[in-house]
Amino acid sequence: MRFPRVVRQITVLTAASALLLGIPAAAASAASAAAAGTGWIRLAHLSPNTPAVDVYLYSFGNSNAKIVLRHVAYGTVSPYEAVSAGDYSVAMRSAGAAASSQPVLSTSVTVKAGHTYTVAGMGPESGLRLQVIDDSLTAPTGKSSVRVIQASLKEQTVKFHCSCGGDITPKASFASVSSYAAIPPGTWTMSAIVGGSAKATLPVKLVAGTVHTEVVLDGSNGLEIVDLLDAAGAGKPPVGGVTTGLGGTAGHGPGSPAPWLAVIGAGALVATFGGLRLRRHALRRQLNTGI
Amino acid sequence: MQIRRPAAIAFAAGLVVIVGGTAGLLLTRHSTPALRPVAAGVAALPVPTGPIVAPPQSAEPAPVASPVSLTIPLIGVKTNLITLGLAAGGAMQVPSSTTVAGWYTGSPRPGAIGSAIIVGHVDSVSGRGVFFRLPELKNGDDVFVKRADGTTAEFRVTEIQTYPKDHFPTDTVYGPTPDPQLRLITCGGAFDAATNHYLNNIVVYATQVR
Repeated sequence: MRFPRVVRQITVLTAASALLLGIPAAAASAASAAAAGTGWIRLAHLSPNTPAVDVYLYSFGNSNAKIVLRHVAYGTVSPYEAVSAGDYSVAMRSAGAAASSQPVLSTSVTVKAGHTYTVAGMGPESGLRLQVIDDSLTAPTGKSSVRVIQASLKEQTVKFHCSCGGDITPKASFASVSSYAAIPPGTWTMSAIVGGSAKATLPVKLVAGTVHTEVVLDGSNGLEIVDLLDAAGAGKPPVGGVTTGLGGTAGHGPGSPAPWLAVIGAGALVATFGGLRLRRHALRRQLNTGI
Repeated sequence: MQIRRPAAIAFAAGLVVIVGGTAGLLLTRHSTPALRPVAAGVAALPVPTGPIVAPPQSAEPAPVASPVSLTIPLIGVKTNLITLGLAAGGAMQVPSSTTVAGWYTGSPRPGAIGSAIIVGHVDSVSGRGVFFRLPELKNGDDVFVKRADGTTAEFRVTEIQTYPKDHFPTDTVYGPTPDPQLRLITCGGAFDAATNHYLNNIVVYATQVR
């Protein structure tokens, strides 16, 4: 793996959140995920020189945290959590600090139904801030939406290039979030370029109908790129509705009377023919008798 | 006399056919009611057993194996899953058999991040299809998808919607989602005998819980 540290952190984070929330609680929250009035939040630590933190998510006005993530280190991005639409606050405390202690930072976030948000600790430690980032849940038909979060302090400004044939952002400054670029499907090499030389590269497979975030991080040696799959749908959505019924159990009106009318007509023809023949024979017999 | 007999027979036969045809016509002048699902609540099938794996994480898109079967115990659905693509004109391909459901290969695999699409018939020309009882599902009901690697993803119903086919909400049903979800699609509403199609689609939304 290119990013064992990040992967390990995320695994630990997931395990910790599952333990904290308890499986039934996690199941209940996920169960309502697609229901009307649901949005999604994920939490991230993207401040390079800030030590690990505990991140709390509160439903506004409720002092019992809805989600607590412990020992969240730089480079960690949680999975999305489904939450009811409404107002929330996010608080960061030093790792291990009491839940009742004054947070180092806090911010409020309004979750709209059907929208996704990343709440990230951004910037240098001296200027640490909690930033609410609006994430996209749409991709142009047949393409992927890709954006860049520049979270490297080692290199203040990078150009982020895609081998698909262009820059996703020509100039990403530290702690910035780019707009989304529409990228065709394929496996592309993403590069963080400084002064004409690539400081980090990553092959990224893009499937149509997906939304990705590429995060530029300070690595233990140089820079790193982490690819996040934010959302996925049908890259080529089927046109219109789906024809999944042949009517065998549907109510239906009387069938066409035409076949029965044809039978009656045929009967009438035969009867008429027979009747005429009978009449003709009868006439002939009368004539014969007469002579 | 010999000449007259066939004519009399034809005359009589013609009258019989007229009587029979009229009887047939009169006997088929009534409507048949729609078949409706029976009341729900009978756990017809046992919950499948086997390893249940956690949903994948954003930064670690662990490959999810292809879906092979679908079980919805509450409504007695247990079917293998075939693969479906697009039909001519770009519409969703549907299973050629009405007793089996299919996964649209242009959508994410069930259990991977995104909206996985599974389609099944409500009926055939003469009887019930695999998704006949789909409208009986309620929020919180379980749906299980078994994958080729033997793992099972468990989903929970969150929403059931009926849409007119001529106003099908493509983005809502097929658009990206940030967590592993499932959409089960079948037909419903009135049957249009002129086009031989139902007028509505029923879409069951479910979200992965395990």
